[in-house]
Amino acid sequence: MAVTGKLLGASLAVAVAALLPSHPRAQDIKIGGIFDLTGVTADVGKPFQQGVIDAVAFVNENGGVNGKKIALVGVDYGYKIDQARAAYKRLVNDEKVVLIQGWGTGDTEALKEFVTQDKIPYFSGSFAAPLSDPAKFPYNFFVAPTYSDQLRAWLAWVKKDWGSKPGTAKVAFMFGDNAYGRAPIAAGKAYAKEIGVDVVDEEVLPPNFQDATSQLLTMKQKAVDYAYINVTTSGVRLVLGDAKKLGLGIKFGSNPYGFSEILVAVAGPLAEGVTGVMPDVPYGDPVPAMKNVEAMHQRFRPSEKGDTMYVRGFSYVLVWSEALKRADKAGQLNGPGIKAAAETLRDFSTGGLTQPVSYTSTDHRPTTTTAIYQIKGGKLVKVAEYTLPRKPDWLGL
Amino acid sequence: MRCGDFRESYSEDMAIFDSRLPRVLLGLLLALLAALPAFATTYWLDVLNRIFIAIIAATGLNIVTGFTGLISLGTAAFLAVGGYTTAALAGKAGLPFFVVVPLSGAVAALVGLVFGIPSLRLKGLYLAVATLAAHYVVEFTVTHWDSMTGGVNGISVPAARAGGLALGDDRHIYYLILVLLVGLLFFAKNLFRTKVGKAFVAIRDHDISAEVMGVNVFRYKLLAFAVSSFYIGVAGSLLAYQARIISPENFPITVAIDYLGMVIIGGLGSILGSIYGAIFITLLPELLRLGNDALAAHWPAAMGLFSQFKSIVFGLVVVLFLMFEPDGMAARWHHVKNYWKLYPFSY
Repeated sequence: MAVTGKLLGASLAVAVAALLPSHPRAQDIKIGGIFDLTGVTADVGKPFQQGVIDAVAFVNENGGVNGKKIALVGVDYGYKIDQARAAYKRLVNDEKVVLIQGWGTGDTEALKEFVTQDKIPYFSGSFAAPLSDPAKFPYNFFVAPTYSDQLRAWLAWVKKDWGSKPGTAKVAFMFGDNAYGRAPIAAGKAYAKEIGVDVVDEEVLPPNFQDATSQLLTMKQKAVDYAYINVTTSGVRLVLGDAKKLGLGIKFGSNPYGFSEILVAVAGPLAEGVTGVMPDVPYGDPVPAMKNVEAMHQRFRPSEKGDTMYVRGFSYVLVWSEALKRADKAGQLNGPGIKAAAETLRDFSTGGLTQPVSYTSTDHRPTTTTAIYQIKGGKLVKVAEYTLPRKPDWLGL
Repeated sequence: MRCGDFRESYSEDMAIFDSRLPRVLLGLLLALLAALPAFATTYWLDVLNRIFIAIIAATGLNIVTGFTGLISLGTAAFLAVGGYTTAALAGKAGLPFFVVVPLSGAVAALVGLVFGIPSLRLKGLYLAVATLAAHYVVEFTVTHWDSMTGGVNGISVPAARAGGLALGDDRHIYYLILVLLVGLLFFAKNLFRTKVGKAFVAIRDHDISAEVMGVNVFRYKLLAFAVSSFYIGVAGSLLAYQARIISPENFPITVAIDYLGMVIIGGLGSILGSIYGAIFITLLPELLRLGNDALAAHWPAAMGLFSQFKSIVFGLVVVLFLMFEPDGMAARWHHVKNYWKLYPFSY
């Protein structure tokens, strides 16, 4: 009897909550969030979303946007493009958001027409190079070096790691057959040729793959020394496990969504020696802003472990809330105003969480400096940092 | 309430609606749908457009699976063929809406014909797996034929052009989709009053008897695939016009499974079933999202909760329908209607 009473009470509470409308105050700034919490990239999408939510709370508690609070309207789109589109239409037409915190490569590129037409600044979790070219994607921004620049930096590390051994390093690329997977490959191949590294193999990893043995065996046949894995953390874990089973001595590197404390947690000793590109510092790194990040994480998620994806989400909010502040000061708290305000950022500091961020009206690459980290003894250790030239012909590639 | 059925001529016997009331109500419904854009928000118009497109594709799938008994997992493939043909014809060739849509349907019908050939020797689950091949072949072609389809980055589709006007808005394209929907549903309903439709049903009921009776089973099976793929291709074309940009990620295998779910839940072998199933499956994520948003407004941490339920609810609903109402929502509707028609008698 008591159980059914509690159940009834709980369901009544839910029903009441469902019927009560939410009323953000008139001066709240509505920001849309399109996150992946249940789709194929949920392993990194969830901590990113947590970082965004907590950072919004942090900004609101510390003066907001010149006194106004940010109201984040978040949606989970499960990495499905049509859901992203429906969410976008609702956020822009019905919720009237002024900025969107987006996520995936495929959907960000799919929304390009609408974003440009509606003039909504769109900060994507995707660092695909075409998105950094304002000539093609005027309203798109992100907070990291492009995927292409990051791959170039990793290839530079490969060249250094190969050192003075005879011959040239043999590199393979492993990626999913989608926009996100293929984003940096062409740029990587071109740069490898430039610096004298051999790209001998490209392997496609099917979606939701559980086994990479056949791809790894082909790579073994081609005597590959280094391999760059361009999927997400769970995919990297699978490849590392299969490589160990086959007894391969390949040195693996990963893109910024496959390499984090999460990889260490799921792969354990398999991840030793794996390198990765990290646009954000590891969680807990002694940089000035980390104490704020840790404070918010401890407050809202004390039972979970923090990771660099959380830091990434946090850093995004620091950047676009700064753009909001500048736009508000100029009295232009609308799409074009926020875009213009973002383009005034020059070496904007996120308190050490990322490289300093700069946008101009002709170049939305925030930075061209990439840090390479390696897993040593279960910890993420920085081993190199490369600043690539800000070449105009690399813009968008 | 009417009681009893008095048919005094063949045309009365074959009529779709047996009294005036359904015709009047249908007219009112169409009038309401036509007036909707005046007061609906853009978001709900987008949902309605997606529902209409789903109804067209579900009708197509029902023609081949529900009426002809040939299980097909190629829905996503034919949607993709329709969509990409539209991108090519409207984008590269710049043809208007009323030329592109039938052509896209025709191309999809041709592809459907090719992948329907295994139906000569295969039935049931074996045919289903053979149609799965259609899905993967089309997916591969679309991902790698970069010059035509834009590969993994997708391809953008210009706004629909009809009568010299560019109709890119959800509000304008709504009318185009509605007109096509009504026309195609009317055609489908009438198809099963003709010799061709009855041949389809005969094949479903017992193909060997049908062959013995003189129905050229292979020819009609291919025709079923062609007609079904035409419908699905048209739906894919409208999808391309509505989404304005399509990529291989728009057509995963889960789309084919969703459509099978639609026709099962709605009712196999019933046009009304396709309508109900399409509405239900398309609205399901919206309803879950509304519940989720209401909760998340008060507890932001609950944001991801309901989305995970979508897959569970979908599977649960399919299982429950198969257990308690295998003929789908359309059958349940007929039971309700008959209850009131025959009241107070039970039969």
